[in-house]
Amino acid sequence: MSQAEVAPPAPTVSAPKAAPVSTTVAAPVMEPVMEPMAASMVAGVRPQTAAGFLALFRNEITLTFRRTRTIALLGLLAALPVLLGVVVKIQTGNLHGGPGGPAFIAQVTQNGLFLVFAAITVALPVFLPMTVGVVAGDSIAGEAATGTLRYLLVAPAGRTRLLAAKFAAAMAFCWAATLAVALSALATGAALFPMGGMTLLSGDTIGLGGALLRAVLIAGVVALSLAGLVAIGLFVSTLTGSGIAAMATTVGLVILVQILDSLPQLQAIQPWLFTDHWLTFADLLREPMYWDGVLHNLGLQALYLAVFGSAAWARLTSRDITA
Amino acid sequence: MTEYAGFEGEKNGEVYRSRRRAALRLLVPVAVAAVAVAGVNLVPALASDGSPTLPQLTAEQLIGKALGSDTQQLSGTVQVSADLGIPSELLSLTGHGGAAAAVTGTAGAAGGSGQAKEANGSAASPESRLTALLAGSHTLRVAVDGPDKQRIALVESLAEYDVIHNGDQLWAWDSSSNSALHLSAPQGAEAKHPSSAPLTGLPTTPQEVARQFLAQSAASSTVAVSGTATVAGRSAYELSLKPKQTGSTIGEVRIAVDSATGTPLAVVATGTSGNTILDVHFSDVSLGQPAAKTFTFTPPPGATVTDQRAGQKAAVGGAAKPQNSPKDTPKGQRAPLDKAAPQLIGSDWTTVLSFHLPSDEGSAAVTGTAQGAKGRKLSGLSASSLVKSLGKPVAGGELISTKVLNILVTDDGRVYAGAVTLPVLQTAAGVK
Repeated sequence: MSQAEVAPPAPTVSAPKAAPVSTTVAAPVMEPVMEPMAASMVAGVRPQTAAGFLALFRNEITLTFRRTRTIALLGLLAALPVLLGVVVKIQTGNLHGGPGGPAFIAQVTQNGLFLVFAAITVALPVFLPMTVGVVAGDSIAGEAATGTLRYLLVAPAGRTRLLAAKFAAAMAFCWAATLAVALSALATGAALFPMGGMTLLSGDTIGLGGALLRAVLIAGVVALSLAGLVAIGLFVSTLTGSGIAAMATTVGLVILVQILDSLPQLQAIQPWLFTDHWLTFADLLREPMYWDGVLHNLGLQALYLAVFGSAAWARLTSRDITA
Repeated sequence: MTEYAGFEGEKNGEVYRSRRRAALRLLVPVAVAAVAVAGVNLVPALASDGSPTLPQLTAEQLIGKALGSDTQQLSGTVQVSADLGIPSELLSLTGHGGAAAAVTGTAGAAGGSGQAKEANGSAASPESRLTALLAGSHTLRVAVDGPDKQRIALVESLAEYDVIHNGDQLWAWDSSSNSALHLSAPQGAEAKHPSSAPLTGLPTTPQEVARQFLAQSAASSTVAVSGTATVAGRSAYELSLKPKQTGSTIGEVRIAVDSATGTPLAVVATGTSGNTILDVHFSDVSLGQPAAKTFTFTPPPGATVTDQRAGQKAAVGGAAKPQNSPKDTPKGQRAPLDKAAPQLIGSDWTTVLSFHLPSDEGSAAVTGTAQGAKGRKLSGLSASSLVKSLGKPVAGGELISTKVLNILVTDDGRVYAGAVTLPVLQTAAGVK
């Protein structure tokens, strides 16, 4: 998948210098939307316009979501709630009311809406981070592996903006992935089980409208709580020229962190692990909503984003791009 | 500045500069991490460091203020963290009746109040769930509106456990098992413990803990105002109580008393070695009237509801088992308790709780109630072998020693427990 249709003899793009780009570079790789900027680039001025970033972002979005791999990942995520719903439907007698099993599963038979929360709870520890790790890990390293990174950098985007666009596109995938789980669960739940007002964790019952609102809110929080992982994936992605290596490392990191999070001996560091507060989204299912854990989680994600985002920036902007 | 590529041949100087810049840039994430960590550690410190300037009060005035506080309405979030060092085997017994009353009562006795409450064996029963507070860190959301309306919610991961008390109605709701327990409590029973949590006997708010401590222990303690503090955004006096008697394993109890209303906002107990045993504090508190609907509970459709009459509950023999208890709790665990009616020896800080060890057959049943694999593993053991495995032999019996509690099991099967040192226990047991 290349953003550069023309492949001129491969030059080495070295770490940025305060030198204006020679005009010969301007010609090759301009997407139509980029064209207005080409002229100014020739003049040696890099336009830092919102429109420029939007164009780059739109470009990254189409690149991400047009990939068969992305669609397959989203399809996998959407299949999970269907599987869950069908299993619960078949095994109604066994699962009902029994302790154990994933949270919210027992209530699914009475209210299909619970399938949304059950599916998110099941997908959040493994499937969602796995798919996000694949997309984030591949974002820079994949370009490097296919030899298209230098052409991206040849375009007058700038490395910082490229990184920002890659991050934004990966976050967009987080939203899409969470929505895929939630919407598929909602459709499955509505098809297989009765829908209606739902019982909150605190025992209060709210109407269908309020429950849907909370589902939307929770989907948003879950997508945002993957931001730290996206930043880590981007950083790993800037370290290597192999997309597979970056994906494997990112997904491996998620698994490692989850293992660390489950060891009671490591209680001292656990509040600092980015997975530790993921399940706090369920605090929004209390009455009144309990925001402490959610805000803590989002703050932690912002921290990871700041640290690994700046690490990715430092790495990408100072590295020699040879492929 | 352009960040994108140039193709000029690199002169040595430029390579050097770019390397230096690379090194500088790599410092950025490190700096960000350092600033973030420092900020996370500093901000709470700065926020709570506030030793607000408050008018001087004597200890007596402050105790009067705290005990005279007529805060009837509050809601907020309470952080409870306990490090009593009770072995998990004992705690799992505690959570399921039987010997429960012993340890629970002893924990109460640590503050000198020593009320032993009967346990009540249902999945959603308040005692068994709230005993979990004796180990680890927990978050509670509490709401109080006078003596008749209270709500406590134990916030768990993906689950919640609520106790709602409204007049003569008491509901306990357990979201993980989707079950509710309904008690119609007689008003009289409530009046006996107006300041304690509904029917549990386990104090769950700083207010209750502090009242229990102050009411019982002020006379036998060295009391001082140790300064001021900010708790949950409110300025407070810090009251320090140290036992006058020797022999207690509790070194100091500090109580933060709200400067405006006298409401206790935090209670911190430290052991004689300076380690924190118990920390109960509001992380967020509002002294307004909670919404009325906070105290109404209607069992959600589909939930398993267990009805218990107050009269049945009072029958300690364990006959009043819930008809359709959601979790299959083994019966008969309460029987030993009849013989083992606990009694209190001594007073205040060195109160010792004593009772007969349940007979082996009875205790085997008790042990069997311990949840999960541990329960199965232990089910063959009798209480005395459990004591042997946990305790170490001392003059007069076996001593089970935790960070705070010491439990002496004498050779003739009596148990002496308290937040006291071994000699005090031995004196109480008459073996020394």
